Formats: sequence, C-alpha cells, structure tokens
Amino acid sequence: MHALELPSTQLSGGTLTMKRPALLLAVALLILSVALIGYRILWLKYPIFPAAPEKVWQLSMDAHVKGGEKETTVMIGLPSTQKGLLVVAEDIHSGTLNFNLLRDGPNQVGVWSGHIDPRGEVIRYSSSIQVKPERLLKIKPPKLGPYPSNVGEAEQKLARGLVEKWDSLPPADRVQHIAAALNGSWGTPVPDAQELQAWSAFQNKHGRVIASLVLLRAAGLVAQVAEGLPLAETVTNTTVTWIAVWTGQDWETLHPEKGEVYQKPVSLLPLTTGGYPAARVLHGELSQIRWTLSRQIINQWRMRFERIMRSDRWLDRWSLFRLPEEFQTTFRILMLVPIGALMISLLRNIVGFPTFGIFLPVLMALAFRNTGLAYGLGIFWGVVLIGYVVRRWIDRLRLLLVPRLSVILTFVIVCITIFALIGNKFDLRAFMAVGLLPFVILTMTIERFFVIVEESGVREALWMAAGSAGVAVVTYGILEIEPLQLTFFVYPELLLAVAAVQVLLGRYTGYRLLELFRFRRFGGA
Amino acid sequence: MTILETIHRLRETGVLGMNRRNAEYIMRSNSRAFFPLVDDKLKTKQLAEAHQIPTPPLYHVIEHHGDIPGFEKVLSGHQDFVIKPARGAGGSGIVLVKGHTAGGFIKQNGEIILMKDLTYHISDILSGIYSLEGLEDRAFIEGLVHPDTIFDAVTYCGVPDIRIIVYRGVPAMSMVRLPTQASDGKANLHRGAIGVGIDMAGGTTLAGVHRSGIVTHHPDTHKPVTGIQVPHWERMLVIAAKAVDMTGLNYLGVDLVIDQEQGPLLLEMNARPGLQIQIANQTGLLRRLDLIDKARPGVFATPETRVAWALETFSARTPV
Repeated sequence: MHALELPSTQLSGGTLTMKRPALLLAVALLILSVALIGYRILWLKYPIFPAAPEKVWQLSMDAHVKGGEKETTVMIGLPSTQKGLLVVAEDIHSGTLNFNLLRDGPNQVGVWSGHIDPRGEVIRYSSSIQVKPERLLKIKPPKLGPYPSNVGEAEQKLARGLVEKWDSLPPADRVQHIAAALNGSWGTPVPDAQELQAWSAFQNKHGRVIASLVLLRAAGLVAQVAEGLPLAETVTNTTVTWIAVWTGQDWETLHPEKGEVYQKPVSLLPLTTGGYPAARVLHGELSQIRWTLSRQIINQWRMRFERIMRSDRWLDRWSLFRLPEEFQTTFRILMLVPIGALMISLLRNIVGFPTFGIFLPVLMALAFRNTGLAYGLGIFWGVVLIGYVVRRWIDRLRLLLVPRLSVILTFVIVCITIFALIGNKFDLRAFMAVGLLPFVILTMTIERFFVIVEESGVREALWMAAGSAGVAVVTYGILEIEPLQLTFFVYPELLLAVAAVQVLLGRYTGYRLLELFRFRRFGGA
Repeated sequence: MTILETIHRLRETGVLGMNRRNAEYIMRSNSRAFFPLVDDKLKTKQLAEAHQIPTPPLYHVIEHHGDIPGFEKVLSGHQDFVIKPARGAGGSGIVLVKGHTAGGFIKQNGEIILMKDLTYHISDILSGIYSLEGLEDRAFIEGLVHPDTIFDAVTYCGVPDIRIIVYRGVPAMSMVRLPTQASDGKANLHRGAIGVGIDMAGGTTLAGVHRSGIVTHHPDTHKPVTGIQVPHWERMLVIAAKAVDMTGLNYLGVDLVIDQEQGPLLLEMNARPGLQIQIANQTGLLRRLDLIDKARPGVFATPETRVAWALETFSARTPV
C-alpha cells in the first residue's frame, strides 16, 4: 500500500490564466517564419510560389557528322547558365566520339572529336532552359573593346567620320541611327558620296555584322555579337546572329540584317557570343544539323535542386536539397506531418471529433502511403472486423488480456496472409503490398479499439474508428499534395508558422462544433 | 439558427465547453500529481477514511493473480457485495452481486454468474482491461450499497448516485444519476443512464437529461423524475466540499450514494467531470464558477462556510 500524502490545498487566489505568453510565442514564430521566407524571396530570389508551374524551354540539337581521313572535331556552341538563363538537365549523346565541354570566354562549347566511320555519326545534345525575365541587372557595362580584328585603320577612320555627327546624342538614339544607316538612310547632314561609296564597299566585303560592329565601335558603344536561336516553338537548321548593344542601362538587340533594334532581349537564346560561330567542324562535314526548341513544364524538384545546389548562400547550403537524395523523399513527407497533427488538433478541439489517440491517425496516413488508400482502408476495417469477431468468439476461452490480444493479432496476420495468397493467385498485387510498418501501425489500432470497446461500448468504438479513419484519409490527402510537399521543402520555416497555429489552437477555449449540437437545447430553443 | 447564434446563446447562458474546462479549470486547478488519488478508487477510499468521510465498507483487495483462489472464503462471509477494478473508467468492470446460489452468485439484474466466470472477470481486472491506458490493476470487493428508497419508484435497477461538481471547495452544481435498462443498472450517463439536475438551495430534483435530450420522466419506469427531495442534502454537500481538502484538486466531480442505514457514502471522484450536468440543470457552469472566483476570501474558510455560501448563492430559482 502506498503511504498517503495529503496534498496541500489552495482554495484561494485563482489567477486568470495568461493568454498573452502563448499569443506572443505564436506571433514570434510567425514573424520568424515570415522573415525567413521574405529573406529567401527578396535576397535569394526564391519563387513566391515554388510549386507554380514554370515554363521552361526544352532545347535539343541533333546533327549528322561525316568524317574524313583525319580526326574530326565538331564544336557546337551550347547555352550556359548566365544572367537570366538557367540551364539544367543537360544530356549529351556522343556515339563513338569523345565529348568535352570547353569554356571559352563567355562561351560554353561542346567539342565532339574522334574518327568517324564512313556512315557518319549522330551527335545529340539536349537541356532544359529557364529564362528569367528580370534582366535589369546592375552590372557594369564591359569596357569599350578594340575594333574587329580584320578592320584596317583607314576603315576605322571612315566609320568614325560617318558617325561623328551623332556623338552628342544619348546611346539609345545613336543605336537607332546606326540601325537606320545600315539600311542606307544616313539622315542629315548627308555624308558625301565618296565616303558612302567606300562604306558600301566595306559593307559588301565584310558583311553587315562586321559593318554594324565597326559603326557601333566608332560611335563609342559597347557591342557584342551573338549567335543563337529565336525563343519560339521551332525546328530549324539555321541560327540567327544579332548584336547586343549596351545603352547605358540595358542591353538592346540590333538585328544587323534587318537594320532593326529590339529592346527586349529575352526573345533570343544565345549559343555563342563574341563572333564565335555556333557550329564549326574541322576535317569533316556537318550535315543535317537541327535545333529544336519547345516549351515544357519540367520537374519542379529538379529545377529547385539545381538552383540551390549552385548557390553559395548560407541558407542554401543548409537547405534540405543538400541532403542525399535517398533521404530527401523521407523529409518531403516528414515536413507535412505537422500539418497532419494540426488537422487532428482542429478536428478534436474545434470540431470535437473523436479519434484514437493523437498520432495514430497520422501514422495511419503514413501507412496508407505504402498500401494505397483503398487497400489501406480495407486493411483497417478488415483488422477491426476480424479482431472483433475473433474477440467475441475467444471470450469463452478465458484468456488473459495480453495473450488474448496476441491471439487476435495472430489471427489477423493469418487472414492477411491468406488474402495475399489469394491475391497472388489472381494476380492482384495490391493484396500483397502490405509492408511491415503499415501493418504494425494498423494492428496497433485494434488494441486501442478494444480498450474503447471495453470502456465505452461498441458504438463509441466504431464512431472513434470512423473518426480516426476519416482523419487519416484527410491527412493522407494532405501528405500526397506534391505542390505542398515542394513548398515546405523549399521553405522549411513554414513549420514555424504551423507551430504558431498549433500554439494558438492550444489556447482556444471556445466551444467545439459538436458541443453546439450537444447543448442545442439550452436557453430555450 | 446559425452557428454564430448558437455560440452567442451558449455564451449568454454561461455554458462551459470542453476546451475551456480543460484549459482554464482542469489544467489550472488540478495538479497532475494528484490525479492518481482520484483515478484509483482504492486510494480514494483510503484517503476518505483518513478524513473520516464514510465510504462503502471494504471487504477485500486482490492485487495478484495468485491471490484469486483465496477470495472465495471472503465472499462466503457476505450476503451481497460489489467487485470493482481500482482504476476502472466510466463504471466498466463493476459487478454487483446481491446473493449466493449453487456454484455461483446472483447479480443485481437477476442473472446468475458462476464462480469461474467471476474469477475470469477478476483476472481481467488485474490484467488491466478495464483500467485507463491498460495498466495492471487491482480488484477490490466492497459492500453493496442499499440505496435509499426515495429513488426506488423512478429507478429501473442498480444504484442511483449523486454527482456534485466542486470548484475550489465550493459545491457548484449537482445531479442525481438514475440507471436505466440501457445502462445495465450503471449510473454512467454515456451508458444511457439519465442525469437529473438538483436545485442547490433546496435539494429537490429538476428536469433530467437522457442522451443529450431533456426528459421529465424515467424512460423505463415512466415515473416523473422532477420534484424529488434528495435526503441528507446538506451533509452530502459538506462531504463534497471536504473532498477538495482531501485531494488537492480544485475542480472535481464527487460521486456519492445514499445508503438506507449509513446515509451518504463517498463512492468515487473524478478529476475530469463531464459537462452534461449543465443540460440536466438547464444552467451553464461558467457563471457559477465565476461567482465562486469572485467570492470574498472568508467564504473559503471551512467546508461548512463554503456549503452555506453555495446554498445561499446557487438556486435554480435565481438566474445563476
């Protein structure tokens, strides 16, 4: 017998419970969560809705290469991650050739090399490219470079003389004038005929691209030639060449062949810049090169992963994406479990719905992930039913509690095994996919079920079983929402916000919904 | 009627909800350390004896499976008795025996229970099937209460008991719980017993609650349940008021029975008493609890002063 200690009583001085500390904690958690998310969005340029479908371009190139006696080398300009461009999921097919990726200045060049058999060789490249519209980057413009290498001093002087009259204009206007000049309209005062003739000769000799570059250089503008593809759903065998001109605030695009200026540079995908050709072959022949651009929605997980892996920021280095891939899947689910717990708090304290224990429904939801919803619910109700029938029957044997539960458990396992064998006979895989963990979790509910049956009767127990199954199904539904998984994975600090809601819920002392029904006869209804 | 209107009306009436009861009364007033004193009926019994509060006589305690064979001898010495699990919840596992028969016993409801069935039942109790959380338990045998005849006319069978909610030592609300056929002679509301509110000031019964609905007649005997004068009313209130000094729990449900010869006996206590008592009394608890909180300190001096204050303050005829 225990010695009975008489507790001291405190009959006076009941103080009002302080609601404030809980509220303060909730607010603090919320602020912390919002601050971290804000930091990620504003400074680390995270997307506000990480799960919103993002359009990316799928680029693929395939070409047929024919070789000669000597070793053949094919060099193809490939898009690289740079300002405004994110290249992920690159895939290269090189056949019997060697492949190397070379960095040459701003360019990334894929080099396929080797001896090619007479039938030729097919090379392929593909990648996903995300184009970010925000190009308002405060970068310093590159220094004014030299004239193109094969332009002589006389020609430089000629060009200088032609553009001199626009020197006082702002850069953007100068670009406009030069574009017009490429089409032959030089404006006033009209340059003298001799000069114009000399320039025409130069332009015919070197082409419009070099001519534009020379004029832009002469006008003191920083310009870069680039070769690439127009960003549009397209299949093409030719690339386009354009000139990017720095106008002081922004890069504008000058189309040398058309003599037109575009302010939006995003509609073009550069493959090479600085005059490198997009495709070159040494000792061989490149036939049937084909570029394909198509829009697609790529795997969001992959997209985030690539972005975060490339970042050096502290928060990114501590991101869940840095975990080894095999553990990431666990954490995707784990991050959502608190929402399941929140659901249960809601159902119990706001609605007043009964469930078996607190976390059993969450565990059941996790079990359903392994078994699938229909079969998981099937097992659950099967287990409850078998357990109940066996229990009624076994009652006569006068067994002690624990051995009795063990017998019930064994019977349930026997039934499940028979089920699996039947499933095997009829080729129903779902019948066999029980899994140890889900099974253990589901059988745990039997014990709970019987304790309730004993304590409060079958009706109450069935009501609670239904409540638990309902909560488990809802929780399962939440765990399976992939955009939500991704959002929590990208912003794990959302858990703090969930905790804040949980804290607030913990201080909810209002009526439960089912109580409104229970006390409905009150106050003269 | 909208939900908001219902909420508003319940607030006006001062109905105490589950969340509020848990957060502001049980969590605030009841230290968990004292819960075992009321969760274990044997401990409650010993505590009551130490405080000279009458309880049904304890005949025997069975703690281990090995002790089961010896209890037959104890039973032979008593005409009627009750077997209870010490930690049983909601009246489960209780067997009322009113007489002996060849090889067994006659239960309260007239059924015969064989000796081997009874030992099986006791071994179930010891294994903890009736206890909260399935912990190992003790079984005990105590005297059967012969309830006061006042409720005979309206009771189907079994023993009616009186539940008094005590807050900070002051009786706040009470009801008498009448067993029905559905409740199998047990006085637990969730098993189908009816709860009949009692006017605090006079000790007479008001309307009853049966499965969340209001009743004026017993569902089995069809006799009116209202207007019955509960005997020993003040004495029961004092016992309930003392229970708080005894347990250190400031929000408590005290269950009493009235024996024909011994008068009021303390049966058990509950640290998480249900809220249905409010329907039985057609009164919310909240305002009464608030009044207790606002009472001047002198009120709390002794159990007697607390009861006197409650008798004066709470009455079905006044609004609170």
